Amino acid sequence: MNDWTAALALFLLLNLVAGLARVWRGPTPADRILAAQLFGTTGVAIMALLADALDITSLRDVALVLAALAAVAMVVFVRRVWTGQPDPEEAADAGR
Amino acid sequence: MTAILWAFDVVLAVTLVALAAGVLATASLFRSIVLFIVFGLTMSIAWARLDAVDLGLVEAAVGAGLTGALLLNTLGHMRSQAEFTPEPSHGPGGRLALALAAGTAGLAIGAAVWAWPDAFAGLGDRVDTHLAESGAQNPVTAVLLNFRAYDTLLEIGVLVVAVVAVWALSPMRGRVLDADPPGLVLAGFVHLLVPVVVLVAGYLLWMGTDAPGGAFQAGAVLAAAGVLLLITGRVAPPQLQAIVERGAVVLGLVAFLAVGVAVMAGGHAFLELPDAWATTLILLLESLLTISIAIVLVILFAGGRTDAAHPPEDAAP
Repeated sequence: MNDWTAALALFLLLNLVAGLARVWRGPTPADRILAAQLFGTTGVAIMALLADALDITSLRDVALVLAALAAVAMVVFVRRVWTGQPDPEEAADAGR
Repeated sequence: MTAILWAFDVVLAVTLVALAAGVLATASLFRSIVLFIVFGLTMSIAWARLDAVDLGLVEAAVGAGLTGALLLNTLGHMRSQAEFTPEPSHGPGGRLALALAAGTAGLAIGAAVWAWPDAFAGLGDRVDTHLAESGAQNPVTAVLLNFRAYDTLLEIGVLVVAVVAVWALSPMRGRVLDADPPGLVLAGFVHLLVPVVVLVAGYLLWMGTDAPGGAFQAGAVLAAAGVLLLITGRVAPPQLQAIVERGAVVLGLVAFLAVGVAVMAGGHAFLELPDAWATTLILLLESLLTISIAIVLVILFAGGRTDAAHPPEDAAP
């Protein structure tokens, strides 16, 4: 049990919440997915800190899985979605 | 300490609800998908806080990893279709009806949880009492592969049925996953990452009997390696022509049924694992299930018969 690690986990979670603004505002699809990619790294750190704060060692395995698979969505994005153009549906949201 | 964790939980809960609302509220499918990926990651942190590490592992592999890849792949496919125009599928009346239905269901579930008798402690104690005879040290694995093996058998059955349904219903002619060879960076990255991902899957499978992990987590992680190979053209999309591919899909289900019936020869009930053999049988079943789950997920990611350039001979008109 460690106060410091719990406090750091909270700090990182607040970082994630702040970063959601970039996912929402974009403007390009790459901005959004890169923010999500950053959260993947944040999630790894949060899990590692929680493993210490809560004394659950197997949370480090969750961090391992998050780290190993963080790039999968990114690779699919690059191969299948990214065209270098702005989000074609962005206009639909702007009118709301 | 308690105050910090309390603040952590409040931020976590508010973020989850906000993310769910954002996923539904945005008209941009891409933004919705990215928010959903973040929702999966946040959910996995929530499971960690709820002491449910097994679920946290599944959510990390499936929610934050595979589902995002599946949705992005589908979006790319939809946009490549000329007739694709994103339109809200429901009018204001339809949306109101859906909101009412979802709200009623939510209230009913909330009321059920509220009415939970204080004295009811769940079945955890009974699982702990009989853990020694299950052949597994991890209570979740003991329940999934021994005490409630019936449920797991039916779950793997559902996965096999899903593959049959997708294969029968969605030929997806004209769809080729990706013809372009990957760039040097992506090819090198996949080259380095895939062995690591396979190693992690093996680790989760091996750990599953003693600690959080097991066939479903390992299968999902292994499937991610398959998705990486598929999306970069390192392996061809599955055609399900070869007996090996078809065999791999049903391997877990067949092995489960075979073990379930075989133990009856020793005077046990269907799927009742004999104590002396339980650990070996669980590890064997989990290994075969991992292979089946991984290949099923990769096939579902590919989404149907994919090769339009070289159609199978029996598909010719």
